[in-house]
Amino acid sequence: MQIDFCAPGGWVDQLGEDVSNTRSVIEPIRAILNVARDAGLTVFHTREGHRPDLSDLPANKQWRTRAHGLGIGDRGATGRILVRGEPGWQIVPELAPIAGELVIDKPGKSSFHATDLEDQLRSRGLTHLVITGVTSDCCVQSTMRDAFECGFECLLLEDCTAAVETRNHVATLDILKAFGGRWGSVATSESLLRALGADSLV
Amino acid sequence: MSEAGVESCFPQIAANPYPWPFDGRWSVGTTAYLLFGFQTEAIATLDAAEAAAVAGRILAAVRSARIRVIFSRRTLGAGANPMASRHGGENVPPNSGIADALAPRRGEPIVDHAGDNAFLRTDLAAQLRVAGIRNLLIAGLPTDGLMHASMRAANDHGFECLAIADACAGTQIGFHEAQLRITAFGNGLFGAVADSAAVLAALKAPPSSKG
Repeated sequence: MQIDFCAPGGWVDQLGEDVSNTRSVIEPIRAILNVARDAGLTVFHTREGHRPDLSDLPANKQWRTRAHGLGIGDRGATGRILVRGEPGWQIVPELAPIAGELVIDKPGKSSFHATDLEDQLRSRGLTHLVITGVTSDCCVQSTMRDAFECGFECLLLEDCTAAVETRNHVATLDILKAFGGRWGSVATSESLLRALGADSLV
Repeated sequence: MSEAGVESCFPQIAANPYPWPFDGRWSVGTTAYLLFGFQTEAIATLDAAEAAAVAGRILAAVRSARIRVIFSRRTLGAGANPMASRHGGENVPPNSGIADALAPRRGEPIVDHAGDNAFLRTDLAAQLRVAGIRNLLIAGLPTDGLMHASMRAANDHGFECLAIADACAGTQIGFHEAQLRITAFGNGLFGAVADSAAVLAALKAPPSSKG
């Protein structure tokens, strides 16, 4: 949930794409985040980004994004696009991590690729993951698939995830819901809040 | 390799959203053809005989060009992660063999994996790196399962991927089409997509030296 993906002035917005979909989930995610914090759940944030020298950026990934006129590593209105430490790479202020929360910096789409997320989860004995964030068709789908395969029990909150294109979002949810939830389950915030006994808080 | 040690490149393949590969350079030495999950039960369950036949035509052309071929196979062996089958909601049954028509030949490795992602806890990425492979031609079943989970991982590893659309089949046509549309979104989030005809045309064209 980074400025480059979800906020006015961020990378996607600078490309002239519509950020209303990715932006629309900030408030629903904030509601879940608040309840999760109150309930004492462990909170992980992930940030897609690359080292300032771009040594972890595949050439094809840079080329594909530069075709839009402003690619990863290029300087835009919010600093260098998807480069660690830059303003646009930060998590949106509404969902900013607080002390004690874990932040996973990832160079790929899957949060498990080239990160220590699996070790961080295992060392805390965590087995169940509630997943929110953007974009559903890209990073969320890759992450949920890998989480499932690593043995984690996943719950994706469908009102807390979105894609730039609505039809790709809808198709992703249809795929993830098929086969009785082969990769995990899909639910609404409301059902999670009810299960946490917190439905009266929002 | 040419005598000068400079590899002859095939022409770029007409693909969506860009002519593949992105840098215009694919050759025998830098390219592998990956066949994900062409197992007899998967082909039967998905009614994917046509996609398997297309994958076979590519296989014949790739073999005669001496491009590296690697197969992947979903198996739930003793060492498999027990969680990988815990939901029971299988999209295709694991454990059957690779279809006879696509049978691997000597020197064509088979990668066994417990889940959908052929790169997870396997040596596939290491094999590709050691061989100097940068470009992947991809066929697989199902598009919305094993094939795309593996293509997503390949892309995260930095490989330049081309999904051969008619050499893949989904559990539903709509899921197949959606995953390929997502692949090409944003100028190729996960790579590019082409038909087998475009791949075969490029393989048959005389390679040119791009020193």
